[in-house]
Amino acid sequence: MKFSYNWLSEYLEKKLSPSEMVDLLTMHAFEVESMEKFGQDYVLDIKILPNRAHDCMSYIGVAKELAAISGSKFVPPKMNFAEDKKIKAKDFILVEVPAKELCPRYSMRVATEIKMGQSPKWMQERLQACGLRPISNIVDITNYVMLETGQPLHAFDLDKLESAISNFQFPISKQIPNSKSQTKKIIVRRAVDGEEITTIEGKKYKLNQNNLVIADEKVAIGIAGIKGGQGPEIDEKTKIVAIESANFEPTNIRRTSKAFVLRTDASTRFENGLDPELTAMALERCVSLIEEIANGRVAEDLVDIYPNKVKPRKILADVQWMQELIGLPIKAQEMIDILKKFEIFAKILKKEKKTFIEAAVPSSRLDLVAQEDIAEEIARIMGYDKIPATVPSGILIPAVKEDNLIYEDKIKDILVGAGWSEAQNYSFISDEDKKIFKTFKAVEIRNPFSQDQKHLRTTLIINLVKNIKENLKYFDNIRLFEVGHVFSMVDTKPTELNVKIAAVVVNKNTKKPAEGLFELKGLINILTEKLGIDGIWFDDAISGDPPQYWLTFTHPLRRAIVRTDKMAFGGVGEINQTILDALGIKEQISFFELNLPDLVGLATEERAYRPPSKYPAIIRDLAISVEQTTKIESVLNIIETAGGELLQDTDIFDIYEGLAGNKKSLAFRLIYQSDERNLTDEEVNKLQEKIIKAIEEEGWEVRR
Amino acid sequence: MNLKNLRNSALKEILGAKNLEELEKLQIKYLGRKGELTEILRKLKDMAEAQRQKIGKFANQLKWEIEGMVEKKKKELGFLSSVDKEWVDISAPGHKLPKGYLNPRTLVLRKVEEIFQSLGFSVIDSTEMETDYYNFQALNFPKDHPARDMQDTFYLTDEILMRTHTSPNQVRFMEKHNPPLRVIMPGKCFRRDASDATHDSQFYQVEGLMVDKNISVANFKAVIAEFFKRLFGKEVKMRLRPSYFPFTEPSFEPDISCTFCAGSGCKICKDTGWLEMAGAGMVHPFVFKSAGYSPYEWRGFAFGFGLERLVMMKYKINDIRLLNFGDLRFLKQF
Repeated sequence: MKFSYNWLSEYLEKKLSPSEMVDLLTMHAFEVESMEKFGQDYVLDIKILPNRAHDCMSYIGVAKELAAISGSKFVPPKMNFAEDKKIKAKDFILVEVPAKELCPRYSMRVATEIKMGQSPKWMQERLQACGLRPISNIVDITNYVMLETGQPLHAFDLDKLESAISNFQFPISKQIPNSKSQTKKIIVRRAVDGEEITTIEGKKYKLNQNNLVIADEKVAIGIAGIKGGQGPEIDEKTKIVAIESANFEPTNIRRTSKAFVLRTDASTRFENGLDPELTAMALERCVSLIEEIANGRVAEDLVDIYPNKVKPRKILADVQWMQELIGLPIKAQEMIDILKKFEIFAKILKKEKKTFIEAAVPSSRLDLVAQEDIAEEIARIMGYDKIPATVPSGILIPAVKEDNLIYEDKIKDILVGAGWSEAQNYSFISDEDKKIFKTFKAVEIRNPFSQDQKHLRTTLIINLVKNIKENLKYFDNIRLFEVGHVFSMVDTKPTELNVKIAAVVVNKNTKKPAEGLFELKGLINILTEKLGIDGIWFDDAISGDPPQYWLTFTHPLRRAIVRTDKMAFGGVGEINQTILDALGIKEQISFFELNLPDLVGLATEERAYRPPSKYPAIIRDLAISVEQTTKIESVLNIIETAGGELLQDTDIFDIYEGLAGNKKSLAFRLIYQSDERNLTDEEVNKLQEKIIKAIEEEGWEVRR
Repeated sequence: MNLKNLRNSALKEILGAKNLEELEKLQIKYLGRKGELTEILRKLKDMAEAQRQKIGKFANQLKWEIEGMVEKKKKELGFLSSVDKEWVDISAPGHKLPKGYLNPRTLVLRKVEEIFQSLGFSVIDSTEMETDYYNFQALNFPKDHPARDMQDTFYLTDEILMRTHTSPNQVRFMEKHNPPLRVIMPGKCFRRDASDATHDSQFYQVEGLMVDKNISVANFKAVIAEFFKRLFGKEVKMRLRPSYFPFTEPSFEPDISCTFCAGSGCKICKDTGWLEMAGAGMVHPFVFKSAGYSPYEWRGFAFGFGLERLVMMKYKINDIRLLNFGDLRFLKQF
């Protein structure tokens, strides 16, 4: 909120320079976001946080803070005015509050013989310094008092209030020239469903019974605590004003204000809760200014509906507890002296061998409810710089890092070592992304801020593919990975899925088909090998429960599920042409995406070390010619099954495509070894013959 | 021809041969079919017996000597010519091997985690989707409380949202663990805010929590000062400013002396000489109650700071949004 330096200074007996004011507020109360020169004045933008909005969105509130911090005295504003004993407020206005649960207090004062006009220059300047536009003397006075006290006020033109009995002339009006006045009624009630109101600015709102309205006997004349309505507004002809100074239940004001997207200076104050005691004081200040500036005659008394007066509050605070919380042995008496600066009057109380402070809290301090609140007041007035830095004592607990995070680091290092760079993308995707990638189960954000960020990503691939598109402008070879959280609707519930690791690759001008895909298969091999995971294989059948994107955005002939015998934990593949076309990408993109927790689970499984065999290995090569479409994995399976235990390893070392008859040649190196003894040539030859036989039974040809 | 002279000139010429071609010519000159020594050897048969024996012996010796010398020289020259073939330009650039880069955020986070681990804080994982209860209510933000306006929220349903801070994990962690405890909980958070060079709709926070029987504001000051000292590698001036968070009481914010202008005031610190680093405070008894602790039996401090601010300071990055893309021109610099 913006504050005028000159105006604030008026409430302080001992003057502070603008920079002193800024420093004191910053270090003991509120952050000052800026200070700017404004004519002969300075404007301070003071950040009043929600805990003090109820009392410090006001000059008096901030001035009292400054007085307490600087040790100066607070000088209250002038409140003297003369009530005209001949006219009584209650003869002009009656107030009924049927919705008393939403309106703890409703007070009014009346002033007659108003001379409408401009407010004085000094008042206009101050309002402008605070960002308010001067309107007329009466309206400006209500705004001025709101800024000063924090209590929003509203002025009604009494003559324009409608009454039920239209022709009844109340005798008092005869005494007041130029007035058709009679006793009017203000009703504070819930709106009727479907009732409408047009605000002073001419905007129409449709109300319901959750909204509180101020009404005369015929219609709603204001949305309570938020905005006045058309009808009894002040104009240049106004003679009699009724000033409303009320206390409304904060939650209801906040809900209505949010529902109507209508935030005003008044609603902001009401939704933070105000001290009900404030209404009468603000009215006194208001009528004193009306008398001074607008020549008003102030009617006697206030009309005041205040069924449950707030009771004084006391807080019992444990002195030792507060000392230990702050970390400084402040004496109880010192605490009491500090509290006194805030008009908190406290005394020492001994109870069960413990020392307490019993603090009587002023009604204006709604934020002070327990001993920790008292401790804060003491600490900040003393200043946090007075508190020493003390190394905590206590048992040292060994610090650990959770497995997931350790492995996340490890995986990142492996991928970086292999040449991939780490992207960290937005967790959001756009409508268009959702359409292109057909991620129908994406979680929708109910209140998105921009079109690009309407849904949560279901997979890391989408944004990585978009990264590739951008990077292709500058690079021919792109290798990116990301580790991150993804989301999806599960049944009808937004759900956070497993953390994923995804990698993408693009190589411009590559000649071999599916080169990127095999690069990523290789990367998965490096990753799993370095993590100590055995038994990984790639399944081109759709096994496990692949994510939905799997079926929609992969190339149907160039994809595989990554799995162990027990579980599938990811996929590798190429992005299909439809998606590349939709995104305008000309290069082939390959990707993988794996579940991090599954990898961690596999990596942390117990693994026994196996010593290398002491006995020599016997090596035999085997070349087989098969149909072009025969899978290498099928051939390997036959060899390994026939070879049995003594066949320790089978490596494929050459693939030659282009034999006559659309065939290819596969060259394997077979390693025979026992952990227990020397193998003889004879037994290895036997095994080799067994393998050859098995191969020939499949109809494949062994090239001798 | 005097054999002695022949020997001298032959040996001199062979030793002086600069390459294999020259050597071959010399070999022909002396040992070829019409070579000088061959001529002498051919004439032997016409000589008298005594002379023939004397000269013949000497000439044959000379022949072997020259042959040996040629062989030796041949090896020498051959080696030199093979060196010629193996020479490489050592100043040529090294091969371009695949290079990968970690995100700068990861680099700084690792440093942060390492420092806190050395101070006894464990590092805990957490989720990004939260319930209204953990994100707000358990932290003393009742429904419809104006303090919620401090954190504009992306809602997914009435009760499910994207966490606006890492603080929900205070309660989540304490529900599962008994004090004393020291933890940090880093993670991605979301705010429904317009983005600019220093704010974005997503950012990383590092939440810290220390709970024991007797923890004080003074302890917080010591821990956070040590952290800054180790992070910046030198003693940094720090101050605590009062603030407000519903889940801490008292609440404060540690500022450090601006690292760009050393506190004299610049654009980055908005001429204040100070940089806001974190939100912090003493754990509110309400939060202990939410976690099922006896509220006044334990005390603790909690803090949360934005990771991006540290990353931007360390690498002089001027726009936070650069961190949320996979631009290789950016990534290749770390």
